[in-house]
Amino acid sequence: MFNKILIANRGEIACRVIKTARKMGIKTVAVYSEADKDALHVELADEAVCIGPAPSKESYLVADKIIAACKQTGAEAVHPGYGFLSENSEFSRRLEEAGVKFIGPKHYSSSKMGDKIESKKLAQAAKVNTIPGYNAAISGPAEAVEIAKGIGYPVMIKASAGGGGKGLRVAFNDQEAFEGFASCVNEARNAFGDDRVFIEKYVLEPRHIEIQVLGDSFGNYVYLNERDCSIQRRHQKVIEEAPSPFVDSAMRRAMGEQAVALARAVNYESAGTVEFVVGADKSFYFLEMNTRLQVEHPVTEYITGLDLVELMIRVAAGEKLPLTQDDVKLNGWAMECRINAEDPFRGFLPSTGRLVKFQPPAEEAGHVRVDTGVYEGGEISMFYDSMIAKLIVHGATREQAIQRMRDALNGFVIRGISSNIPFQAALMQHPRFQSGHFNTGFIAEEYPKGFSPEMVPHDDPALLVSVAAYVHRSYVDRQASVSGQLPGHELRVGDAWVVVKVVEGGQNESHPVVVKGIPGGYEVEYKGEKYEILSGWKLGEALFRGTCNNEPICLQVERHRMKHRLFHWGTRQDFMVLTARAAELQALMPDKPKPDLSRFLLSPMPGLLREIAVRVGQEVKAGEKLAVIEAMKMENILKAEQDCVVSKVVAKAGDSLAVDEVIIEFK
Amino acid sequence: MHDIINQLAVKREAANLGGGQKRIDAQHKKGKLTARERIEILLDPDSFEEWDMFKEHRCTDFGMADSKIPGDGVVTGYGTINGRLVFVFSQDFTVLGGSLSETHAEKICKVMDHAMKVGAPVIGLNDSGGARIQEGVASLGGYADVFQRNVMASGVVPQISMIMGPCAGGAVYSPAMTDFIFMVKDSSYMFVTGPEVVKTVTHEEVTAEELGGAVTHNTKSGVADLSFENDVEALAMLRRFMNFLPASNKEKAPVQPSLDPADRLDVSLDTLVPDNANKPYDMKELIIKVVDDSDFFELQPDYAKNILIGFGRMDGQTVGIVANQPLVLAGCLDIKSAIKAARFVRFCDAFNIPVVTFVDVPGFMPGTSQEYGGIIKHGAKLLYAYAECTVPKVTVITRKAYGGAYDVMSSKHLRGDVNFAWPSAEIAVMGPKGAVEIIFREEKNDPAKLAEREAEYKAKFANPFVAGARGFIDDVIMPSETRKRICRSLAMLRDKQLENPWRKHGNIPL
Repeated sequence: MFNKILIANRGEIACRVIKTARKMGIKTVAVYSEADKDALHVELADEAVCIGPAPSKESYLVADKIIAACKQTGAEAVHPGYGFLSENSEFSRRLEEAGVKFIGPKHYSSSKMGDKIESKKLAQAAKVNTIPGYNAAISGPAEAVEIAKGIGYPVMIKASAGGGGKGLRVAFNDQEAFEGFASCVNEARNAFGDDRVFIEKYVLEPRHIEIQVLGDSFGNYVYLNERDCSIQRRHQKVIEEAPSPFVDSAMRRAMGEQAVALARAVNYESAGTVEFVVGADKSFYFLEMNTRLQVEHPVTEYITGLDLVELMIRVAAGEKLPLTQDDVKLNGWAMECRINAEDPFRGFLPSTGRLVKFQPPAEEAGHVRVDTGVYEGGEISMFYDSMIAKLIVHGATREQAIQRMRDALNGFVIRGISSNIPFQAALMQHPRFQSGHFNTGFIAEEYPKGFSPEMVPHDDPALLVSVAAYVHRSYVDRQASVSGQLPGHELRVGDAWVVVKVVEGGQNESHPVVVKGIPGGYEVEYKGEKYEILSGWKLGEALFRGTCNNEPICLQVERHRMKHRLFHWGTRQDFMVLTARAAELQALMPDKPKPDLSRFLLSPMPGLLREIAVRVGQEVKAGEKLAVIEAMKMENILKAEQDCVVSKVVAKAGDSLAVDEVIIEFK
Repeated sequence: MHDIINQLAVKREAANLGGGQKRIDAQHKKGKLTARERIEILLDPDSFEEWDMFKEHRCTDFGMADSKIPGDGVVTGYGTINGRLVFVFSQDFTVLGGSLSETHAEKICKVMDHAMKVGAPVIGLNDSGGARIQEGVASLGGYADVFQRNVMASGVVPQISMIMGPCAGGAVYSPAMTDFIFMVKDSSYMFVTGPEVVKTVTHEEVTAEELGGAVTHNTKSGVADLSFENDVEALAMLRRFMNFLPASNKEKAPVQPSLDPADRLDVSLDTLVPDNANKPYDMKELIIKVVDDSDFFELQPDYAKNILIGFGRMDGQTVGIVANQPLVLAGCLDIKSAIKAARFVRFCDAFNIPVVTFVDVPGFMPGTSQEYGGIIKHGAKLLYAYAECTVPKVTVITRKAYGGAYDVMSSKHLRGDVNFAWPSAEIAVMGPKGAVEIIFREEKNDPAKLAEREAEYKAKFANPFVAGARGFIDDVIMPSETRKRICRSLAMLRDKQLENPWRKHGNIPL
């Protein structure tokens, strides 16, 4: 076994690999860019080496620097994590030459699979189902259109070197094929330094189901069952689960055996994933093989009880797989939510900055697992991926797993930056998600116009009302404990209150309650029912944990002037708690409509202003490009929402912008 | 006797109706509450003792003899907020537009006199069209009587003005002399001369809202300390605000016990200050993570944002917080921020509220607009305020403390009681770059050499040790333990005794 390994990655995956290495008694070396100097993986590792400036092109993607770091520290092997150099066969080949083991497949395996065109040919040879498509280099957009026509629309145009959702376009007609090809080539060149793309049939209503495989250097292979990754937003996975609610045991075996056949065809020695697109008729086609550890590997670990990183390390060290196909278990149900630094209420734009608060739910062995690479007080930089944590749960059944996930999401506190937690919570309680009947189009179909707080119904309004009452009464009682009161005239706080649910447009709802202090909390009487809430919550805390009539509850609360904002199960709701008289008078207060901001183009995210595409006096049509902001490696094009005339350009290219900063004013 | 009781009931009913139901409805339609409704929200239930309900004006000119309404347009008296005594006057716009008559003024003066006598705050809820023109000079005299009392009460009892309607002309000068001015958005405005006069004299076209609305005074003029969405929010927040203030200059700042441990650590503060000295960070995060229950009552949040002021509590006791805000203009001091902070420090000093100062200041703002604007005198206000201040002063330097601004920001030299520095503190005459360009002027054409000098200067001065060696810093503390160290220092300073020499009054550079 190795004495020391280097982890050529950052963030949660680097931390996750370090944990297993430590468990195995292996020393670890972290590498980091200048932006990651204070990152968690650097803190956790036994040693750390700086490998250059913040942009990954100058640090995490530079093979020379990683190899030099191995030499410098005496690391015997490199775990590449996912992304960065993990599927770069040139890198693994060079490591091998340098006498350093690559904890992953051999370069000849990954190079065959890394090229999507070649991998498809291989799959066909190994009798793996494949989708009709075009597998050769394409000269230009015109040829792309011809090919697309030949296959029949819709078609998918994808970067050969791509992964995740980067460099992927779907075209339904000639024009889209033409434009999609051009932009795909561009993006592929920028993101991967390889502008080859391929075109294939696009399966409608597809599910994305993948098989985890494992091979060793002795020719042993197993498949560790499937993962369903159909819940995607713009081709980025959002929720993954294992097993799939769609797969039965016969299908599982068929997919698993094809996956193993493919792995065998390339002498695959490590953990890998064979991705399939699955049609509504249970037909499945090979998509690609990911020759690395996947982001969503923990769900497989939960249902199989295995540590995939450990197995990868053991195989790389020349050990035999300790299990056969018959030993592979499928216990219960596991689910993973990717927690991203993005604002679900602003079109999922990336959110960067300081993590003012970061308190993940407590891990519970066998039930709740949190993989993360960030910490409270840390910085989410614009240079890397927006995923900051993975929340993984396990339950005996899918229902139980969903329930655990909902509870865990309630207790995940993130402040300072926005996160997709409310969106994840909304998905968890979506009837269609709960039913298991969905495909990769789920999010686009259910949230065609984006996501807003009002879209999340809350099925326990009494809980929100009583917690709002609890929180307010706590503040009022504390204020009433102030020194210097007139003797004999101290304030005795009343028990009758009105909880006003604040609804935009003056449609506030009043809920009269009686709030009485009891040991350890308050009893709230609402609509004839009593809610006994006990909690150790202290004023100012974000997390409100306790029990309501002996049932555990977990919400988040914030105070904004006289409003209490509650977060629970994806709902975000403001309440005011007033005396009966104040509530009467509050009803007289005018509802002030939000100011009209349509005259301004505001920066929807923090980032760098790359370009202003218009000039003062220019008439702009709806949909025309106004400006380009770069954030989180992505170029975001801001388009005109309506026809307008530019009256003033406030910001200039090169400015670094805050959220809601004015960029352009219109007449 | 029975007859008198009946008459009393009738008179009370009349007084309670103010200007009548029609005017009350009109007031509501404008999104405003009536004078009495406002008091109901402001004070503890059933605690209001009203005085002079039956007081009427004495004017007989212009048909005024026929328009007498008991109370004469202002509701006055006392009550409690969280059991603590306050005096209140609430102008009633439904009665002759809330206009100030001689008797109206007498009612206000009466509560102010009592407040001074017993040592309790005066809260004015302003909603008045101005002077009662029919009374002429008698009304003006009334204003001046109030002004005089505002000045006499200044520094003796807290005076708070909540502007909830018009407040124009001479009327503005009473709130102007109180300690805090709060305004309600869209329904209140303050100006010395209204839009019509402005148009006649200067030919400027401006609306009342633009000229003197809540937004104007909270962002442009700095006249107001806070603005609120509506009457209910304003009054509910005022209740919260009053809990920070002592009743008078004879009392210590009040204590509101907290379950927030005084020795609570916050490890995330250890990464608050970025490595890059030019990168800003949000000082408000530090304040919110250090005070009890994350409860920071910020004042003037939208004016001179390069400095933060407001109240919080440490271990239950009210403290006034002043902090440079590196997010805005790098946290430098300029005319507006110096005035903003100076007035706040003087309030705290007058009312025995300890001052906690967080320092990250690169210096004073350069430029002609600042110099022509009199930064010398205005900057001196903050210096003066800190120097004369005798309440407990605890200072934490988080990063830059450069030049004269270092001296100003509650330094040891201005009788700072406890002065801490974070390890990231740099206490120096100026930033390294500027310093070496002056000291090594002859090498200014040699960038390599200059960079070397800069590194040398940085190594020597860009740390808290030089100041520590001289005792200008009492200790270098970890950011995570800031709350604990401040709480302990304040506990030690609880019985601090310090007096300035007797004098009629100092001569602050106004």
